[in-house]
Amino acid sequence: MSSSPVVTLTDVRKNFGTTQALRGVSLTIEQGEIVVLLGLSGSGKSTLLRHFDGLEIASSGSVEVLGSDVSALRGRPLRELRSRIGFIFQQFELVGSITVLENVLTGALARLTGPRLGLPTYPAALRDTAFDLLEEVGLGAQAFQRADTLSGGQQQRVAIARALMQDPDILLADEPVASLDPESSEAVMNLIREIGMKRKLTVICSLHQVELALSWADRIVGLRHGEVVLDTVAAGLSKEQVMEVYGRVATSTGEFEAVASELAETAAEMRAVVGK
Amino acid sequence: MTATLTPEKRPAPAAPPVGPRTTLAPPSRNTVTAAVLLFGLLAFSLWSLGEMDLRIDFTYALSFLERTVPFVWPSLPDALWYSVLTLAIVISGTVMAAVLSIPVAYLAANNTTPAQSTRWLGRFLSVTSRAAPDAIMAMIFALVIGQGALAGVLALGLHSIGMISKLTADAIEQIDEGPRLALRAAGATRSQEFWGAVWPQIMPSYIATVLHRTDINLRVSVILGFVGVSGLGYELSHALNTLNYREAMPWAIIIFALCVAFEIISSVVRKTLLGVQPTGRGLGDRIVRRATRDRADGQKPAAGAAAGRIRPWTSERVKTTSFAWIAVVAIVASVVISATQGSNFTNFWLNASIAFNRLWPPALAESKWETTAEKLFETVQIAGAATLLALVASAVIGSFAARNVAPNAGVRGGFRFLLVIIRGLPELLLCIFFIILTGLGPGAAVIALGIGGVGLLGKLMADSLEEVNPGPERALRATGATRVQIFTSATLPQAAPAFVGHILYLFDTNIRAATILGIVGAGGIGYMLAGAARINQHELLVLLLCVLVIVFLVEALSSFIRQLIK
Repeated sequence: MSSSPVVTLTDVRKNFGTTQALRGVSLTIEQGEIVVLLGLSGSGKSTLLRHFDGLEIASSGSVEVLGSDVSALRGRPLRELRSRIGFIFQQFELVGSITVLENVLTGALARLTGPRLGLPTYPAALRDTAFDLLEEVGLGAQAFQRADTLSGGQQQRVAIARALMQDPDILLADEPVASLDPESSEAVMNLIREIGMKRKLTVICSLHQVELALSWADRIVGLRHGEVVLDTVAAGLSKEQVMEVYGRVATSTGEFEAVASELAETAAEMRAVVGK
Repeated sequence: MTATLTPEKRPAPAAPPVGPRTTLAPPSRNTVTAAVLLFGLLAFSLWSLGEMDLRIDFTYALSFLERTVPFVWPSLPDALWYSVLTLAIVISGTVMAAVLSIPVAYLAANNTTPAQSTRWLGRFLSVTSRAAPDAIMAMIFALVIGQGALAGVLALGLHSIGMISKLTADAIEQIDEGPRLALRAAGATRSQEFWGAVWPQIMPSYIATVLHRTDINLRVSVILGFVGVSGLGYELSHALNTLNYREAMPWAIIIFALCVAFEIISSVVRKTLLGVQPTGRGLGDRIVRRATRDRADGQKPAAGAAAGRIRPWTSERVKTTSFAWIAVVAIVASVVISATQGSNFTNFWLNASIAFNRLWPPALAESKWETTAEKLFETVQIAGAATLLALVASAVIGSFAARNVAPNAGVRGGFRFLLVIIRGLPELLLCIFFIILTGLGPGAAVIALGIGGVGLLGKLMADSLEEVNPGPERALRATGATRVQIFTSATLPQAAPAFVGHILYLFDTNIRAATILGIVGAGGIGYMLAGAARINQHELLVLLLCVLVIVFLVEALSSFIRQLIK
C-alpha cells in the first residue's frame, strides 16, 4: 500500500466557546489499522472523530485525511472526501419512516446528482448492491420494512450497510454500541471488525468500555481532557495499565461507568449550551 | 361535631415569624407588562361589546322564516356540478399553496435556511401571505382574469402559503437532526440532505397540514363566491342578492354538508395514509372510528424469509399506492376543471393594464381618511367583542369538554359534540343569517364570530386543560379539596398560559375574519374594501395597506405578549 498515512493530525486544537475540547492532538494512522479512541464521555474522542470528515473544523492545527487538508475543503471536494469515509453513529441515525433498503441507498447519494425520494428513483444497479450489503449484514429479509420497526442492533447493522454503500476507504464509528444491549453489542462490534478486515479498511472507533476496546482493537489511543495520554498496540495491554493512565484506579467496572455516565451528562449539557 | 373535623373551621396555624418577605419573588417586569396589556385588551373588548347593537329583531326573523320555507332545491346535476367545481377550486388552490410552501418553509426554518437574510425572507413571505386577505386578492384577480374559477384558485393559493409554510417550517425545526448529519457525513448535497433526511420526517405533518388547510379553504370558498368566484358560494350569494331565500337556504345546507363530508374524507385519508389513529374529536374522526372499530388491522410485518428482491405488495403498500393515485387523479381533475372554468385569458394584457390603471396610482380622498380610520377601528372592535363573547362561552363549554374537569364521560362527550357542530358551521353562513336577523352592521359579525370562535377556542381550551400535569390535581384531591377547588387551584393555573396564547390567536384570526365579513355587509373596513373593489378602485391599495398594517400590529402585539409569558 501507499506509504503515506491515511490520517495525519498535527497539534489539533478545538474550542467551543471557552471550553477546550481538544488541546493539541497529534496522531498518525496508517492504512488498514484498526484503532480505538478510548476515553470517558467528554474526553474529546467524538469531537476528534468528527474532525476526520469535516463535521467539525479544527480551531488550529492541521487535519490531513486521505491526502487532503480537511479544514481547507468546501463544497464538492469536501463532499467527495466525505463520500470516501463511512460514519457510524451511536444513535444509528436512520430515517425511521422509509424502508431499510432506501436507508442503505442514501449512502450512495454522493455518487448521484440531485435529490432522491423513494426506491424507484435509485438506479437498479445500486439497488442490487444495497441488497447484497443488507444480506452481508444479515438483514436481507428486512429490506422492505420501515427502518423504525427494527431493533437497535438491527438498525446499527443497517447503518453499517449504509456506510459500506459509500464504498469507503475509512470507517469511523462513534460509540457504535453505547445504545445497545451486551449481546447485540458484541455482534455489531464483531461485524465492524470482520468487514474492516475483509475490505482492508482503516477503522477508527471511539469507545468508553476498556475491556471491549482491549479485546477488539489492534491499537489503542487513550484520550483525557482533549489530550492523547496513551497510544500503544492493544496486544498485551492489561485493564489495570489502561486505568492507571486515566489517573483513577477503578476497583470495578461499575464505579468506572458511574463516573462515565456522570461526565456524559455534563458533556451533554455543555453541548446543549454550545449548540445555542 | 368538633371544630377539628371541619378543616374550614380549624383555627389558623400560628403565623410564621414575621420578617421581610424575602421568599416570595416579586412579579417580574415581563409578567407585569403582559398583565397590563392583557387587561387593556380585556377592557377594550368589554367597551367594544357595550358599543355594539346586538339586539335581534324578531319581526325580521319571522318575515325571514316566511320567505324561506318551503325551500326550493336546485336540480341534482346543478348541485353536484357546483359542489365539484367548488372542490376543484379549493383543491387546486391548496395544492398550489402546498407546493410553494416547501421552498418558503425551507427558507424560514432556522435549521435549513442558508443564511440569516434568507430566513427573514422566508418569514416575510409567510407573514405577508397570511396577512393578505384572500377575498380581497380574489377581487383583484377577478379584475384581471375575469370572475371565474382561476381568480379563486390564485387567491386561495397565495393566502394559504402563510399557514402551510409556517407549520411546515415549525415541523422542519423539530426534526431529529441525526439522519441529516449522517447524510452530510456520507457526502450528500444540501438538497439531497433535505429530500433524503428532512422530508421523510416532516411528510406526515405536512400532509396533515395540507388536509387541514383544505378543510379551511372549503369554508373560505363560500366567501370567495361573494366576490365573484364560481361555485357553491357564488350560487348562494346570487340567491341572497336577489333576496331569494327559498333558493339560498338549500345552497347553504349543501355547503354545510360538503364541509362535513370533506372532514370525513380527510380523516379517512389521515388514518389510512399516515397511520394516524382517528383520536381527534372532529365529526369525521368520530365516524371513522365508529366504522373501523371492530376491524382488526394491526401492523403485519412483511413475511420475512420469503421476501425476494421485488418489493412485496403488502396491504400497507396497496393502500398507500392507491391513495396516492386517487390524490393524483383528484388533483389533475381539479386543475383541469378550474383552469377551464370561466377564466378569460384572451384579453389578459388588456385587462391587466385596465386593472392596473384603475388601481394605480393609489389614492384616497382626504375626506375619506376619517371614515377609514373609524372603519378600521370598528373592525378591531368587532374582533375584540367577538373574542370576548367566544371566551365567555368557551370557558364554560371548553371546561366541561375536558376529561379532567367534566364530572363524567357523558358530559364531556356532549360538550365535545357541541364544539364539533359549532366548528362545522362556516362563519359566513352564520354572519349572513344574523345580518338577516339584526340588519346590516357590525352586530351580525360580532355574534357570528362570537359563535364561530367557540368552536376553535373551546376545543383549544379543552385540549390544554387535558394536557396539564395531573400530579397537582391528585395532590389536592388527596387533601380533600372539592372539584371546584381542584379546578381553580390546580388545573386552571397550569393551563392559564396556554389559554392566553389561544385567546390571542383567536383575536388575530378574528381581525382577519372581521375584515372579510365586512364584505357581505357586516360593518368595518371590509365594507369599504368591497366598495373600493367595485367602484373606487384606486382606493383599494390604500385600504389594503391599512388592513395589512393593522393585521401586522395586532400580530406583533400578540406575539409580544406570548413572548412575555413564555
